[in-house]
Amino acid sequence: MAAELLRESFQIQGRNFDKAGEISSEIKMILKDLGIDAGCLRRAVIVAFEAEMNVAMYADRGTLTLVLTDKDISLDVRDEGPGIPDIELALQEGYSTASDEMRDMGFGFGMGLPNMKKNSDEFCLESEVGKGTRVFARIRLNSHG
Amino acid sequence: MVELKHGFKIDTAKCVGRMHCMRACPTHAIRVKNGKAHLIPELCIDCGSCLGVCPSKAISATTITLAELGRFKFKVAVASPALFTQFGLNDTPAQVGRALLDLGFDAVWEYAVDIELVDLAITDCVTKWPGPFPLISDSCPVVVRLVQVAYPSMVEQLLPIEIPREIAGREVKRKYSRELGLKLEEIAAIYITPCQAKSISILQPAEEGKSYLDGAIGISEIYNDILYRLRKETTKLQNGGQDNTSDLGELFHWGNPEGEFPNLSREHYLPLSGLTDVIKVFDDIEKGKLANIEFLECHACLGGCVGGNLTVENLYVARSKDLHLKANMPKPTPEFEREVARRYAGEDFAMRSSIRPRSLARDVVDLRERVMRRKRAEEILKGLPLLNCGLCGAPSCKDHADDVASSRSEISDCVFLSKARIDLLRKIYKKGPRSVKK
Repeated sequence: MAAELLRESFQIQGRNFDKAGEISSEIKMILKDLGIDAGCLRRAVIVAFEAEMNVAMYADRGTLTLVLTDKDISLDVRDEGPGIPDIELALQEGYSTASDEMRDMGFGFGMGLPNMKKNSDEFCLESEVGKGTRVFARIRLNSHG
Repeated sequence: MVELKHGFKIDTAKCVGRMHCMRACPTHAIRVKNGKAHLIPELCIDCGSCLGVCPSKAISATTITLAELGRFKFKVAVASPALFTQFGLNDTPAQVGRALLDLGFDAVWEYAVDIELVDLAITDCVTKWPGPFPLISDSCPVVVRLVQVAYPSMVEQLLPIEIPREIAGREVKRKYSRELGLKLEEIAAIYITPCQAKSISILQPAEEGKSYLDGAIGISEIYNDILYRLRKETTKLQNGGQDNTSDLGELFHWGNPEGEFPNLSREHYLPLSGLTDVIKVFDDIEKGKLANIEFLECHACLGGCVGGNLTVENLYVARSKDLHLKANMPKPTPEFEREVARRYAGEDFAMRSSIRPRSLARDVVDLRERVMRRKRAEEILKGLPLLNCGLCGAPSCKDHADDVASSRSEISDCVFLSKARIDLLRKIYKKGPRSVKK
Protein backbone atom coordinates (compact mmCIF):
# COMPACT_ATOMS: atom_id res chain seq x y z
CA MET A 1 0.00 0.00 0.00
CA ALA A 2 1.44 3.30 -1.07
CA ALA A 3 1.69 6.02 1.54
CA GLU A 4 -0.95 8.70 1.30
CA LEU A 5 0.63 12.12 0.88
CA LEU A 6 -2.34 14.37 0.33
CA ARG A 7 -6.12 14.13 0.56
CA GLU A 8 -8.53 16.92 -0.28
CA SER A 9 -12.29 16.91 -0.76
CA PHE A 10 -14.35 19.36 -2.78
CA GLN A 11 -18.10 19.96 -2.86
CA ILE A 12 -19.65 20.07 -6.31
CA GLN A 13 -22.86 22.01 -6.73
CA GLY A 14 -25.37 20.18 -8.90
CA ARG A 15 -27.32 21.85 -11.74
CA ASN A 16 -24.97 24.77 -11.77
CA PHE A 17 -23.26 25.39 -15.08
CA ASP A 18 -21.73 28.72 -14.08
CA LYS A 19 -19.44 27.22 -11.49
CA ALA A 20 -18.80 23.96 -13.30
CA GLY A 21 -15.12 23.53 -14.05
CA GLU A 22 -13.83 25.45 -11.04
CA ILE A 23 -12.97 22.35 -9.03
CA SER A 24 -11.04 20.71 -11.82
CA SER A 25 -9.19 24.00 -12.25
CA GLU A 26 -8.31 23.93 -8.57
CA ILE A 27 -7.14 20.33 -8.81
CA LYS A 28 -5.01 21.30 -11.76
CA MET A 29 -3.43 24.12 -9.74
CA ILE A 30 -2.66 21.75 -6.88
CA LEU A 31 -1.10 19.09 -9.11
CA LYS A 32 0.79 21.70 -11.09
CA ASP A 33 2.09 23.28 -7.88
CA LEU A 34 3.37 19.87 -6.87
CA GLY A 35 5.17 19.50 -10.17
CA ILE A 36 3.29 16.35 -11.20
CA ASP A 37 4.44 14.97 -14.54
CA ALA A 38 2.66 16.72 -17.43
CA GLY A 39 1.07 13.60 -18.93
CA CYS A 40 -0.34 12.35 -15.62
CA LEU A 41 -1.56 15.83 -14.78
CA ARG A 42 -3.38 16.16 -18.05
CA ARG A 43 -5.13 12.81 -17.67
CA ALA A 44 -6.13 13.57 -14.07
CA VAL A 45 -7.51 16.97 -15.04
CA ILE A 46 -9.56 15.53 -17.91
CA VAL A 47 -11.05 12.91 -15.58
CA ALA A 48 -11.77 15.51 -12.90
CA PHE A 49 -13.32 17.90 -15.40
CA GLU A 50 -15.61 15.30 -16.97
CA ALA A 51 -16.65 14.04 -13.53
CA GLU A 52 -17.38 17.54 -12.35
CA MET A 53 -19.44 18.27 -15.45
CA ASN A 54 -21.47 15.12 -14.98
CA VAL A 55 -22.32 16.04 -11.41
CA ALA A 56 -23.08 19.63 -12.40
CA MET A 57 -25.38 18.50 -15.20
CA TYR A 58 -27.30 15.67 -13.61
CA ALA A 59 -27.01 15.58 -9.83
CA ASP A 60 -28.20 17.63 -6.86
CA ARG A 61 -24.82 17.66 -5.23
CA GLY A 62 -21.63 15.70 -5.09
CA THR A 63 -18.14 15.47 -3.65
CA LEU A 64 -14.85 14.93 -5.36
CA THR A 65 -11.97 13.58 -3.30
CA LEU A 66 -8.44 13.81 -4.55
CA VAL A 67 -5.89 11.47 -3.01
CA LEU A 68 -2.23 11.58 -3.88
CA THR A 69 0.24 8.89 -2.95
CA ASP A 70 3.82 8.52 -4.10
CA LYS A 71 2.54 6.00 -6.67
CA ASP A 72 -0.69 7.43 -8.03
CA ILE A 73 -3.43 10.04 -8.14
CA SER A 74 -6.94 8.85 -7.38
CA LEU A 75 -10.21 10.68 -7.84
CA ASP A 76 -13.32 9.52 -6.03
CA VAL A 77 -16.53 11.25 -7.11
CA ARG A 78 -19.83 10.55 -5.38
CA ASP A 79 -23.10 12.27 -6.14
CA GLU A 80 -26.69 12.36 -5.03
CA GLY A 81 -28.53 12.18 -8.32
CA PRO A 82 -30.70 10.13 -10.63
CA GLY A 83 -28.19 7.30 -11.01
CA ILE A 84 -27.39 5.38 -14.20
CA PRO A 85 -29.78 2.50 -15.11
CA ASP A 86 -27.50 0.80 -17.65
CA ILE A 87 -23.81 1.29 -16.89
CA GLU A 88 -22.60 -0.68 -19.89
CA LEU A 89 -24.64 1.50 -22.22
CA ALA A 90 -23.49 4.70 -20.47
CA LEU A 91 -19.87 3.75 -21.12
CA GLN A 92 -20.43 3.48 -24.87
CA GLU A 93 -19.01 6.35 -26.89
CA GLY A 94 -21.73 8.61 -28.21
CA TYR A 95 -24.45 7.44 -25.84
CA SER A 96 -25.95 10.45 -24.11
CA THR A 97 -28.97 11.44 -22.11
CA ALA A 98 -28.12 15.13 -22.19
CA SER A 99 -30.88 17.71 -22.58
CA ASP A 100 -30.95 20.24 -25.42
CA GLU A 101 -29.82 22.89 -22.97
CA MET A 102 -26.70 20.88 -22.11
CA ARG A 103 -25.99 20.25 -25.78
CA ASP A 104 -26.40 23.94 -26.55
CA MET A 105 -23.60 24.56 -24.10
CA GLY A 106 -21.34 22.16 -25.91
CA PHE A 107 -21.75 19.16 -23.63
CA GLY A 108 -23.59 15.90 -23.82
CA PHE A 109 -21.91 14.28 -26.80
CA GLY A 110 -21.73 11.00 -24.97
CA MET A 111 -17.96 11.18 -24.54
CA GLY A 112 -17.72 12.05 -20.84
CA LEU A 113 -17.63 8.65 -19.19
CA PRO A 114 -15.74 6.91 -22.02
CA ASN A 115 -13.21 9.74 -21.91
CA MET A 116 -12.74 9.30 -18.17
CA LYS A 117 -12.24 5.58 -18.57
CA LYS A 118 -9.77 6.11 -21.40
CA ASN A 119 -7.67 8.48 -19.30
CA SER A 120 -7.54 6.29 -16.19
CA ASP A 121 -5.36 3.31 -15.36
CA GLU A 122 -8.08 1.98 -13.11
CA PHE A 123 -11.71 2.94 -13.49
CA CYS A 124 -14.80 1.89 -11.62
CA LEU A 125 -18.40 3.06 -11.97
CA GLU A 126 -21.15 2.14 -9.54
CA SER A 127 -24.66 3.50 -9.52
CA GLU A 128 -28.03 3.06 -7.91
CA VAL A 129 -31.04 4.49 -9.72
CA GLY A 130 -32.71 7.20 -7.69
CA LYS A 131 -29.82 7.46 -5.25
CA GLY A 132 -26.61 8.39 -6.93
CA THR A 133 -23.43 7.46 -8.72
CA ARG A 134 -19.86 6.79 -7.67
CA VAL A 135 -16.92 7.05 -10.01
CA PHE A 136 -13.45 6.01 -8.95
CA ALA A 137 -10.43 6.62 -11.16
CA ARG A 138 -6.77 5.97 -10.54
CA ILE A 139 -3.91 7.42 -12.54
CA ARG A 140 -0.46 5.97 -11.95
CA LEU A 141 2.43 8.38 -11.61
CA ASN A 142 5.57 7.99 -13.65
CA SER A 143 8.62 6.89 -11.73
CA HIS A 144 9.69 10.46 -11.02
CA GLY A 145 6.28 11.81 -10.15
CA MET B 1 19.50 22.90 -15.74
CA VAL B 2 20.23 25.18 -18.66
CA GLU B 3 20.43 28.79 -17.60
CA LEU B 4 17.67 30.76 -19.24
CA LYS B 5 18.52 33.90 -21.07
CA HIS B 6 16.00 36.68 -21.02
CA GLY B 7 15.06 39.40 -23.45
CA PHE B 8 15.51 42.22 -21.01
CA LYS B 9 17.73 43.34 -18.18
CA ILE B 10 16.98 45.05 -14.91
CA ASP B 11 19.42 47.86 -14.20
CA THR B 12 19.74 47.65 -10.42
CA ALA B 13 21.38 51.07 -10.26
CA LYS B 14 18.26 52.66 -11.73
CA CYS B 15 15.76 50.43 -9.93
CA VAL B 16 14.19 52.11 -6.89
CA GLY B 17 11.99 49.14 -6.04
CA ARG B 18 8.58 50.57 -6.77
CA MET B 19 7.19 47.14 -7.59
CA HIS B 20 5.27 48.05 -10.74
CA CYS B 21 7.03 45.22 -12.58
CA MET B 22 6.35 42.75 -9.77
CA ARG B 23 2.64 43.52 -9.89
CA ALA B 24 2.47 43.45 -13.69
CA CYS B 25 4.20 40.10 -14.12
CA PRO B 26 1.64 37.46 -15.17
CA THR B 27 3.77 34.53 -14.02
CA HIS B 28 4.76 36.08 -10.66
CA ALA B 29 8.42 35.84 -11.59
CA ILE B 30 9.63 39.08 -9.95
CA ARG B 31 10.48 39.75 -6.32
CA VAL B 32 11.57 43.05 -4.82
CA LYS B 33 14.04 42.57 -2.01
CA ASN B 34 15.98 45.39 -0.35
CA GLY B 35 14.41 47.87 -2.71
CA LYS B 36 15.62 46.14 -5.88
CA ALA B 37 13.69 44.02 -8.34
CA HIS B 38 15.06 40.68 -9.33
CA LEU B 39 13.91 37.82 -11.45
CA ILE B 40 13.19 34.15 -10.78
CA PRO B 41 14.52 33.16 -14.20
CA GLU B 42 12.74 29.82 -14.56
CA LEU B 43 9.33 31.47 -14.15
CA CYS B 44 9.88 34.29 -16.64
CA ILE B 45 8.33 33.82 -20.08
CA ASP B 46 9.68 37.05 -21.61
CA CYS B 47 6.30 38.60 -22.21
CA GLY B 48 7.73 42.05 -21.55
CA SER B 49 4.84 43.16 -19.32
CA CYS B 50 7.42 44.57 -16.90
CA LEU B 51 9.18 46.60 -19.56
CA GLY B 52 6.62 49.32 -20.12
CA VAL B 53 5.46 49.76 -16.54
CA CYS B 54 8.77 50.63 -14.87
CA PRO B 55 8.60 54.26 -13.72
CA SER B 56 12.40 54.46 -13.41
CA LYS B 57 13.04 53.00 -16.88
CA ALA B 58 15.28 50.44 -15.19
CA ILE B 59 14.15 47.55 -17.41
CA SER B 60 15.33 47.51 -20.98
CA ALA B 61 15.20 45.11 -23.87
CA THR B 62 18.36 43.26 -24.88
CA THR B 63 18.06 44.27 -28.48
CA ILE B 64 21.06 45.61 -30.37
CA THR B 65 21.80 48.89 -32.13
CA LEU B 66 23.02 49.53 -35.67
CA ALA B 67 26.37 50.66 -34.33
CA GLU B 68 27.04 47.15 -33.02
CA LEU B 69 26.96 45.67 -36.51
CA GLY B 70 30.36 46.96 -37.62
CA ARG B 71 32.00 43.54 -37.48
CA PHE B 72 29.83 42.26 -40.36
CA LYS B 73 30.74 42.84 -44.01
CA PHE B 74 27.17 42.60 -45.27
CA LYS B 75 24.13 43.54 -43.23
CA VAL B 76 20.66 42.44 -44.20
CA ALA B 77 17.46 43.69 -42.57
CA VAL B 78 14.62 41.21 -42.16
CA ALA B 79 11.76 43.50 -41.23
CA SER B 80 8.70 42.33 -39.32
CA PRO B 81 5.61 43.37 -41.29
CA ALA B 82 4.65 45.30 -38.16
CA LEU B 83 7.36 47.85 -39.09
CA PHE B 84 5.38 49.01 -42.14
CA THR B 85 2.28 49.68 -40.06
CA GLN B 86 4.08 52.27 -37.95
CA PHE B 87 4.22 55.12 -40.43
CA GLY B 88 1.72 57.32 -42.31
CA LEU B 89 -0.97 55.95 -44.59
CA ASN B 90 0.95 57.06 -47.68
CA ASP B 91 4.37 55.81 -46.65
CA THR B 92 4.85 52.63 -48.64
CA PRO B 93 6.79 49.54 -47.52
CA ALA B 94 9.22 50.23 -50.36
CA GLN B 95 9.97 53.73 -49.02
CA VAL B 96 10.47 52.34 -45.53
CA GLY B 97 12.72 49.68 -47.05
CA ARG B 98 14.82 52.30 -48.80
CA ALA B 99 15.07 54.24 -45.55
CA LEU B 100 16.54 51.08 -44.00
CA LEU B 101 19.14 50.97 -46.78
CA ASP B 102 19.96 54.61 -46.20
CA LEU B 103 20.35 53.83 -42.50
CA GLY B 104 23.23 51.51 -43.28
CA PHE B 105 21.80 48.14 -44.22
CA ASP B 106 23.25 46.61 -47.37
CA ALA B 107 20.02 44.85 -48.28
CA VAL B 108 16.42 44.61 -47.16
CA TRP B 109 15.13 41.08 -47.34
CA GLU B 110 12.05 40.17 -49.40
CA TYR B 111 10.46 38.71 -46.30
CA ALA B 112 7.02 38.18 -47.85
CA VAL B 113 8.43 35.15 -49.67
CA ASP B 114 9.39 33.42 -46.42
CA ILE B 115 6.04 34.25 -44.88
CA GLU B 116 4.24 32.79 -47.88
CA LEU B 117 6.44 29.68 -47.73
CA VAL B 118 5.75 29.08 -44.06
CA ASP B 119 2.05 29.75 -44.61
CA LEU B 120 2.04 26.97 -47.21
CA ALA B 121 4.03 24.66 -44.94
CA ILE B 122 1.64 25.30 -42.04
CA THR B 123 -1.42 24.58 -44.16
CA ASP B 124 0.19 21.36 -45.30
CA CYS B 125 1.18 20.38 -41.76
CA VAL B 126 -2.26 21.14 -40.31
CA THR B 127 -3.94 19.04 -43.01
CA LYS B 128 -1.74 16.05 -42.27
CA TRP B 129 -1.49 16.39 -38.49
CA PRO B 130 -2.81 13.26 -36.73
CA GLY B 131 -3.42 15.08 -33.43
CA PRO B 132 -3.55 16.02 -30.65
CA PHE B 133 -5.48 19.15 -31.54
CA PRO B 134 -5.38 22.07 -31.62
CA LEU B 135 -1.94 22.75 -33.03
CA ILE B 136 -0.55 25.92 -31.46
CA SER B 137 1.37 28.50 -33.46
CA ASP B 138 5.05 28.89 -32.62
CA SER B 139 5.87 32.31 -34.02
CA CYS B 140 5.31 34.18 -30.76
CA PRO B 141 8.22 33.27 -28.44
CA VAL B 142 6.21 34.23 -25.36
CA VAL B 143 3.53 31.70 -26.22
CA VAL B 144 6.16 29.02 -26.76
CA ARG B 145 7.81 29.78 -23.40
CA LEU B 146 4.46 29.88 -21.68
CA VAL B 147 3.71 26.38 -22.93
CA GLN B 148 7.18 25.15 -21.96
CA VAL B 149 6.97 26.59 -18.46
CA ALA B 150 3.30 26.43 -17.49
CA TYR B 151 1.65 23.92 -19.86
CA PRO B 152 4.30 21.23 -20.33
CA SER B 153 1.69 18.66 -21.32
CA MET B 154 0.96 20.77 -24.41
CA VAL B 155 4.46 21.05 -25.90
CA GLU B 156 3.64 18.32 -28.40
CA GLN B 157 0.88 20.57 -29.72
CA LEU B 158 3.31 23.31 -30.69
CA LEU B 159 3.53 23.57 -34.45
CA PRO B 160 6.62 21.60 -35.57
CA ILE B 161 7.35 24.09 -38.35
CA GLU B 162 10.28 26.50 -38.33
CA ILE B 163 9.25 30.15 -37.95
CA PRO B 164 9.44 32.53 -40.96
CA ARG B 165 12.17 34.73 -39.51
CA GLU B 166 14.48 31.74 -39.06
CA ILE B 167 13.73 30.46 -42.57
CA ALA B 168 14.55 33.97 -43.80
CA GLY B 169 17.79 34.12 -41.80
CA ARG B 170 18.96 30.81 -43.26
CA GLU B 171 18.19 31.91 -46.82
CA VAL B 172 19.85 35.31 -46.31
CA LYS B 173 23.11 33.56 -45.45
CA ARG B 174 22.81 31.03 -48.26
CA LYS B 175 22.04 33.59 -50.93
CA TYR B 176 24.61 36.23 -50.09
CA SER B 177 27.44 33.84 -49.36
CA ARG B 178 26.82 32.32 -52.77
CA GLU B 179 26.39 35.61 -54.63
CA LEU B 180 29.05 37.67 -52.89
CA GLY B 181 31.50 34.95 -51.96
CA LEU B 182 31.32 35.89 -48.28
CA LYS B 183 31.72 33.59 -45.30
CA LEU B 184 28.50 32.92 -43.36
CA GLU B 185 29.82 34.75 -40.31
CA GLU B 186 30.53 37.87 -42.37
CA ILE B 187 26.84 38.23 -43.20
CA ALA B 188 24.45 39.63 -40.63
CA ALA B 189 20.75 38.80 -40.76
CA ILE B 190 19.10 41.29 -38.46
CA TYR B 191 15.46 41.11 -37.48
CA ILE B 192 13.61 44.40 -37.10
CA THR B 193 11.43 43.42 -34.19
CA PRO B 194 8.16 44.65 -32.66
CA CYS B 195 9.00 43.12 -29.25
CA GLN B 196 11.92 42.10 -27.05
CA ALA B 197 10.72 38.50 -26.95
CA LYS B 198 11.84 37.88 -30.52
CA SER B 199 15.31 38.92 -29.52
CA ILE B 200 15.24 36.16 -26.91
CA SER B 201 14.24 33.59 -29.44
CA ILE B 202 17.37 34.63 -31.31
CA LEU B 203 19.63 34.54 -28.23
CA GLN B 204 18.19 31.24 -27.10
CA PRO B 205 15.77 29.45 -29.44
CA ALA B 206 13.10 27.32 -27.74
CA GLU B 207 14.41 24.12 -29.29
CA GLU B 208 17.87 24.85 -27.85
CA GLY B 209 19.63 25.17 -31.18
CA LYS B 210 21.31 28.23 -32.63
CA SER B 211 19.42 30.97 -34.44
CA TYR B 212 20.15 31.85 -38.07
CA LEU B 213 19.63 35.47 -37.16
CA ASP B 214 22.38 37.57 -35.64
CA GLY B 215 20.32 39.91 -33.52
CA ALA B 216 17.23 42.03 -33.34
CA ILE B 217 16.77 45.79 -33.50
CA GLY B 218 13.62 47.17 -31.90
CA ILE B 219 11.27 49.14 -34.13
CA SER B 220 11.24 51.94 -31.56
CA GLU B 221 15.06 52.08 -31.76
CA ILE B 222 15.08 53.08 -35.44
CA TYR B 223 11.63 54.66 -35.72
CA ASN B 224 12.84 58.24 -35.60
CA ASP B 225 15.65 57.64 -38.10
CA ILE B 226 13.20 56.14 -40.56
CA LEU B 227 10.54 58.78 -40.01
CA TYR B 228 13.14 61.50 -40.60
CA ARG B 229 14.09 59.97 -43.94
CA LEU B 230 10.45 59.53 -44.95
CA ARG B 231 9.74 63.21 -44.27
CA LYS B 232 12.98 65.06 -45.01
CA GLU B 233 14.91 63.01 -47.50
CA THR B 234 12.11 62.01 -49.80
CA THR B 235 14.20 62.27 -52.97
CA LYS B 236 16.54 59.57 -51.71
CA LEU B 237 13.61 57.21 -51.28
CA GLN B 238 12.19 57.60 -54.78
CA ASN B 239 12.23 54.73 -57.23
CA GLY B 240 11.16 56.12 -60.59
CA GLY B 241 7.85 57.14 -59.06
CA GLN B 242 6.39 53.63 -59.31
CA ASP B 243 6.22 52.33 -55.82
CA ASN B 244 3.99 49.34 -56.37
CA THR B 245 6.60 47.47 -58.35
CA SER B 246 9.42 47.85 -55.92
CA ASP B 247 13.01 47.10 -56.73
CA LEU B 248 13.13 45.57 -53.25
CA GLY B 249 10.53 42.91 -53.96
CA GLU B 250 7.65 42.15 -51.64
CA LEU B 251 8.28 43.33 -48.10
CA PHE B 252 4.75 43.19 -46.78
CA HIS B 253 2.54 40.10 -46.82
CA TRP B 254 -1.25 39.90 -46.97
CA GLY B 255 -1.35 37.23 -44.30
CA ASN B 256 1.27 38.10 -41.70
CA PRO B 257 3.43 35.52 -40.02
CA GLU B 258 2.02 37.45 -37.18
CA GLY B 259 -1.47 37.69 -38.58
CA GLU B 260 -3.88 35.47 -40.42
CA PHE B 261 -3.68 32.26 -42.38
CA PRO B 262 -6.17 32.73 -45.18
CA ASN B 263 -5.49 29.27 -46.58
CA LEU B 264 -6.82 27.46 -43.54
CA SER B 265 -10.41 26.39 -43.05
CA ARG B 266 -12.32 29.17 -41.28
CA GLU B 267 -14.18 26.71 -39.14
CA HIS B 268 -11.11 25.05 -37.68
CA TYR B 269 -8.83 28.03 -37.30
CA LEU B 270 -8.91 30.29 -34.29
CA PRO B 271 -6.74 33.37 -33.77
CA LEU B 272 -6.37 34.83 -30.30
CA SER B 273 -4.24 37.51 -28.74
CA GLY B 274 -3.43 38.98 -25.35
CA LEU B 275 -1.66 36.99 -22.67
CA THR B 276 -4.65 36.92 -20.31
CA ASP B 277 -6.86 35.32 -22.94
CA VAL B 278 -4.12 32.96 -24.10
CA ILE B 279 -3.75 31.68 -20.52
CA LYS B 280 -7.53 31.23 -20.17
CA VAL B 281 -7.72 29.29 -23.41
CA PHE B 282 -4.70 27.11 -22.53
CA ASP B 283 -6.39 26.25 -19.22
CA ASP B 284 -9.40 25.04 -21.15
CA ILE B 285 -7.31 23.10 -23.65
CA GLU B 286 -5.74 21.29 -20.72
CA LYS B 287 -9.25 20.22 -19.72
CA GLY B 288 -9.73 18.76 -23.18
CA LYS B 289 -11.66 21.64 -24.74
CA LEU B 290 -11.17 23.11 -28.24
CA ALA B 291 -10.01 19.80 -29.72
CA ASN B 292 -12.27 20.63 -32.69
CA ILE B 293 -9.94 23.49 -33.62
CA GLU B 294 -7.08 22.45 -35.88
CA PHE B 295 -4.89 25.50 -35.60
CA LEU B 296 -4.79 28.00 -32.80
CA GLU B 297 -2.85 31.12 -33.59
CA CYS B 298 -1.70 32.75 -30.38
CA HIS B 299 -0.03 36.05 -29.73
CA ALA B 300 0.90 37.30 -26.30
CA CYS B 301 0.43 40.94 -27.28
CA LEU B 302 -3.09 42.23 -27.64
CA GLY B 303 -3.77 42.72 -31.33
CA GLY B 304 -0.79 40.57 -32.32
CA CYS B 305 2.63 41.88 -33.28
CA VAL B 306 1.43 45.33 -34.35
CA GLY B 307 0.75 45.72 -30.62
CA GLY B 308 4.27 44.65 -29.63
CA ASN B 309 6.01 46.50 -26.82
CA LEU B 310 8.75 47.89 -29.07
CA THR B 311 6.29 49.41 -31.53
CA VAL B 312 5.59 53.12 -31.43
CA GLU B 313 2.19 53.69 -32.96
CA ASN B 314 -1.07 53.14 -31.09
CA LEU B 315 -2.29 49.58 -31.77
CA TYR B 316 -5.45 50.66 -33.55
CA VAL B 317 -3.77 53.26 -35.70
CA ALA B 318 -1.24 50.60 -36.69
CA ARG B 319 -4.06 48.15 -37.33
CA SER B 320 -5.80 50.60 -39.64
CA LYS B 321 -2.56 51.07 -41.57
CA ASP B 322 -2.23 47.29 -41.73
CA LEU B 323 -5.74 46.99 -43.18
CA HIS B 324 -4.98 49.80 -45.63
CA LEU B 325 -1.83 48.04 -46.82
CA LYS B 326 -3.66 44.75 -47.24
CA ALA B 327 -6.59 46.29 -49.07
CA ASN B 328 -4.28 48.00 -51.54
CA MET B 329 -1.84 45.17 -52.11
CA PRO B 330 -1.26 44.52 -55.79
CA LYS B 331 -1.51 40.94 -57.00
CA PRO B 332 1.69 38.99 -56.35
CA THR B 333 4.14 39.50 -59.19
CA PRO B 334 5.19 36.56 -61.38
CA GLU B 335 8.72 36.95 -59.95
CA PHE B 336 7.31 36.59 -56.43
CA GLU B 337 5.37 33.46 -57.35
CA ARG B 338 8.35 31.96 -59.16
CA GLU B 339 10.56 32.59 -56.14
CA VAL B 340 8.01 30.99 -53.80
CA ALA B 341 7.70 27.94 -56.06
CA ARG B 342 11.48 27.64 -56.42
CA ARG B 343 12.17 27.79 -52.71
CA TYR B 344 9.19 25.71 -51.59
CA ALA B 345 10.55 22.79 -53.58
CA GLY B 346 13.91 22.82 -51.82
CA GLU B 347 13.20 24.22 -48.36
CA ASP B 348 13.19 22.14 -45.19
CA PHE B 349 10.58 23.50 -42.81
CA ALA B 350 11.03 21.02 -39.99
CA MET B 351 12.29 22.35 -36.68
CA ARG B 352 15.90 21.48 -36.08
CA SER B 353 14.99 19.67 -32.90
CA SER B 354 11.85 19.26 -30.86
CA ILE B 355 10.71 21.73 -28.22
CA ARG B 356 10.77 20.29 -24.71
CA PRO B 357 9.21 21.41 -21.43
CA ARG B 358 11.41 23.61 -19.27
CA SER B 359 12.20 21.96 -16.00
CA LEU B 360 11.57 24.10 -12.99
CA ALA B 361 13.81 24.32 -9.96
CA ARG B 362 11.09 22.71 -7.82
CA ASP B 363 11.56 19.45 -9.69
CA VAL B 364 14.80 18.99 -7.83
CA VAL B 365 13.18 17.71 -4.64
CA ASP B 366 11.01 14.59 -4.50
CA LEU B 367 7.23 14.46 -4.46
CA ARG B 368 7.03 13.87 -0.71
CA GLU B 369 9.03 17.04 -0.03
CA ARG B 370 6.94 18.97 -2.54
CA VAL B 371 3.75 17.91 -0.76
CA MET B 372 5.31 18.93 2.58
CA ARG B 373 6.20 22.33 1.17
CA ARG B 374 2.69 22.76 -0.11
CA LYS B 375 1.23 21.92 3.29
CA ARG B 376 3.68 24.28 4.98
CA ALA B 377 2.73 27.01 2.51
CA GLU B 378 -0.98 26.49 3.24
CA GLU B 379 -0.33 26.83 6.98
CA ILE B 380 1.78 29.94 6.45
CA LEU B 381 -0.87 31.48 4.21
CA LYS B 382 -3.42 31.23 7.02
CA GLY B 383 -1.34 33.69 9.04
CA LEU B 384 -1.01 36.23 6.24
CA PRO B 385 -3.45 39.13 5.68
CA LEU B 386 -4.40 38.17 2.08
CA LEU B 387 -4.20 41.81 1.06
CA ASN B 388 -1.51 41.18 -1.54
CA CYS B 389 0.08 44.50 -0.60
CA GLY B 390 3.39 43.31 -1.96
CA LEU B 391 5.45 44.97 0.79
CA CYS B 392 7.12 41.66 1.62
CA GLY B 393 8.55 41.79 -1.89
CA ALA B 394 6.35 39.08 -3.39
CA PRO B 395 3.37 39.91 -5.60
CA SER B 396 0.79 38.11 -3.43
CA CYS B 397 0.42 36.57 0.01
CA LYS B 398 0.29 33.18 -1.65
CA ASP B 399 3.62 33.79 -3.37
CA HIS B 400 5.09 34.88 -0.07
CA ALA B 401 3.82 31.70 1.60
CA ASP B 402 5.32 29.60 -1.20
CA ASP B 403 8.63 31.46 -0.95
CA VAL B 404 8.78 30.93 2.81
CA ALA B 405 7.84 27.26 2.49
CA SER B 406 10.68 26.78 0.01
CA SER B 407 13.10 28.75 2.22
CA ARG B 408 13.52 31.47 -0.39
CA SER B 409 12.22 34.09 1.99
CA GLU B 410 11.60 34.84 5.68
CA ILE B 411 8.02 34.92 6.96
CA SER B 412 8.92 38.09 8.90
CA ASP B 413 9.18 39.94 5.60
CA CYS B 414 5.42 40.42 5.98
CA VAL B 415 4.81 43.88 7.48
CA PHE B 416 1.81 42.55 9.39
CA LEU B 417 4.02 40.13 11.27
CA SER B 418 7.07 42.27 11.93
CA LYS B 419 7.62 45.83 12.88
CA ALA B 420 11.26 45.50 11.94
CA ARG B 421 10.14 45.02 8.34
CA ILE B 422 8.32 48.35 8.35
CA ASP B 423 11.38 50.07 9.78
CA LEU B 424 13.54 48.50 7.11
CA LEU B 425 11.17 49.54 4.32
CA ARG B 426 11.10 53.05 5.75
CA LYS B 427 14.85 53.16 5.58
CA ILE B 428 14.98 51.83 2.00
CA TYR B 429 12.20 53.91 0.53
CA LYS B 430 12.84 57.18 2.33
CA LYS B 431 15.84 57.73 0.11
CA GLY B 432 13.70 57.34 -2.98
CA PRO B 433 12.51 60.21 -5.11
CA ARG B 434 8.96 59.84 -3.82
CA SER B 435 9.70 60.69 -0.17
CA VAL B 436 7.21 63.18 1.21
CA LYS B 437 8.55 66.39 2.66
CA LYS B 438 6.61 67.90 5.47
